[in-house]
Amino acid sequence: MKTTVIGAYPKISDETGGQALRNALHRHDRGEIDDGELATVQDGATRAAIAEIEGTGIDILNDGQIRWDDLFAPFAKAWGGVSRGPLERYYDNNTYFRQPLIEGKITTDGKTLVRDFAFARGQTTHELKAAICGPLTFATLAIDKHYRTLEDRVAAVADALAAEITGLGAAGATLIDVEEPALVAQPQHIELARAAFQRLAAAGVPLALQTYFFPADRVLELLASFPVAQIGLDIRSRDTTVLRRLDVFGEKTIVLGIVEARNTRLETRDELTKLAEEALKLVKPDRLWLAPTTSLEFLPHDVAVKKLAVLAEAARVAGGVVA
Amino acid sequence: MTEVGGSRGAQHPGGGVLLTTTVGSFGKPEYLQKARNAFARGKLGKTELEELERKATTEWIRVQEDLDLDILVDGEMYRGDMVAHFAELLDGYTVGGLVRAYGNRYYHKPIISGKVARPKPMTVDWFTFAQSLTDRPVKGMLTGPYTMLDWSYLESYPTRRDAALALAEAIRLEAEDLDRAGAKYIQIDEPAIHARPEELDIAIEAMGIVTQNLKAKTISHICYGDFAAIYPKVLDLPVDQLDLAMVNYEYKYLDLFDRDPFTKEMAIGIVDVHKHALESVEEAAEGIRKGLKYVPADKLLPHPDCGLKTRPVEESIAKCRIVVEATKVVRQELAKASR
Repeated sequence: MKTTVIGAYPKISDETGGQALRNALHRHDRGEIDDGELATVQDGATRAAIAEIEGTGIDILNDGQIRWDDLFAPFAKAWGGVSRGPLERYYDNNTYFRQPLIEGKITTDGKTLVRDFAFARGQTTHELKAAICGPLTFATLAIDKHYRTLEDRVAAVADALAAEITGLGAAGATLIDVEEPALVAQPQHIELARAAFQRLAAAGVPLALQTYFFPADRVLELLASFPVAQIGLDIRSRDTTVLRRLDVFGEKTIVLGIVEARNTRLETRDELTKLAEEALKLVKPDRLWLAPTTSLEFLPHDVAVKKLAVLAEAARVAGGVVA
Repeated sequence: MTEVGGSRGAQHPGGGVLLTTTVGSFGKPEYLQKARNAFARGKLGKTELEELERKATTEWIRVQEDLDLDILVDGEMYRGDMVAHFAELLDGYTVGGLVRAYGNRYYHKPIISGKVARPKPMTVDWFTFAQSLTDRPVKGMLTGPYTMLDWSYLESYPTRRDAALALAEAIRLEAEDLDRAGAKYIQIDEPAIHARPEELDIAIEAMGIVTQNLKAKTISHICYGDFAAIYPKVLDLPVDQLDLAMVNYEYKYLDLFDRDPFTKEMAIGIVDVHKHALESVEEAAEGIRKGLKYVPADKLLPHPDCGLKTRPVEESIAKCRIVVEATKVVRQELAKASR
């Protein structure tokens, strides 16, 4: 049984010296530092995030998405035919994202994330996974002035993301999170998403379909047939029965979101251990990963660190390492 | 809560039709921004800061009168964030660490960590001060219990409903104090109301606690979210007036009223507060005309989409001027049509 993180890690902290990135971005906006100087600070913050996640005892790391303004920003900045549009509230959070604005055919060289992934991978000896946004999430939250239908839009986004997956695979990625909250927010589009995931899977890199914010109850059996290696499930944000139905996933690995990444209440080790043990009644330990429900960036930095430490400890207990 | 029209309905210019107003906040003048920063660093005392907040409030009251707005606000010169401000004044809250709102903007998201209670009035002195500066009505301004809940972390209540109802009791005390202080309008903002449509009943129940004993006309501002997901059920929110962002959504939510008629007063957003570009008077007037298809002129109040605190002072004024000028145009059209 392994532990992992999903999505973005807090970019700054309240501690002394914890706001270097925030200050650098302000200075960059004012023209006081150039792109290279900002990149140095971003690399430093990425290095620190990876070291910190690793230090809490988490097994499978990511780069903390330190450069990402929101889930879509790297792609909306890099892709042809897309720019960053107006601010909109991000699902049921009091945080905002810039809607991708599609005004032409979407194009990409597939190398949007390659440099940052290679850098992050060089900062640790642990396994480090990559991440992209989900095609349905991007397509349903975008403003589209080019494609005629949602179907066309999802397919175009999926093709661009498949190119990114190919690029990441060539750079050494062996697992890529596909963050797809739209799949559980708007489950009526699940067949559209399945077709999109076929396009992503054709790139040949193992994928982890990460759902969050909303329960997957209505689509659980359908999710089991998606062409992905892992399925991520948020069992804390809302009432859900999925913990008692995990046997539907066959040989897929389940990434179980048991730490609430959107509330400061600190879970106890025993509370998390019980949830893991409940899951282990239906899933073999080598197919169960434990995780926060979503990006830890919804929390203050100090709380995020504490939550990861408890998660790692609970996994060790549930896995029988600690008596 | 009173019937629509309100027993304290003030006499307004414009014959009581298309009364103009704003959502609540205005940009803070530079001297106040600097003073707030100095206060945060311990370089300025609370008394000195409050003096500047009163100065800025006075200036904004004058500006609103000069603009010829009908229903005024105090401009919230004493507030930062609409939830954090009340969280700092209520018992049962602690200040959380910094979290990102968007881009490079961060805020201290409050934590409900104990039993919520209101130790003393929170806004009454500011309302009384602002109202003393003008003969025009000034709105009492509160953040609603559901938004207070949704924009806070929750540690100390077993359910979200329990926390919302506890917050409602605290906010009720404040609303009733504003009522006793003579507020003709009390606005209880719920911009988070569509965050979880499945919890709309909680928001309605909580608002019912806040407004149950009020004589003032009651208003709730709702913005930036999926209004369609809560309509028409949101008409059960126990307030007289819904104050809605519309122009930001290109008025698409008005289409909902074709199927389920809008039954309350409506403050309609006709200028976008998140764009530097100014709308033309004609564009804004067209927004009012769109609203008049669904709500009669004596129940339709033109205003900006949301609070103007993110705009510089001059831009705030320019946006409000467009609201007033557009309203004059449509009032003249209505007067001509009734002759």
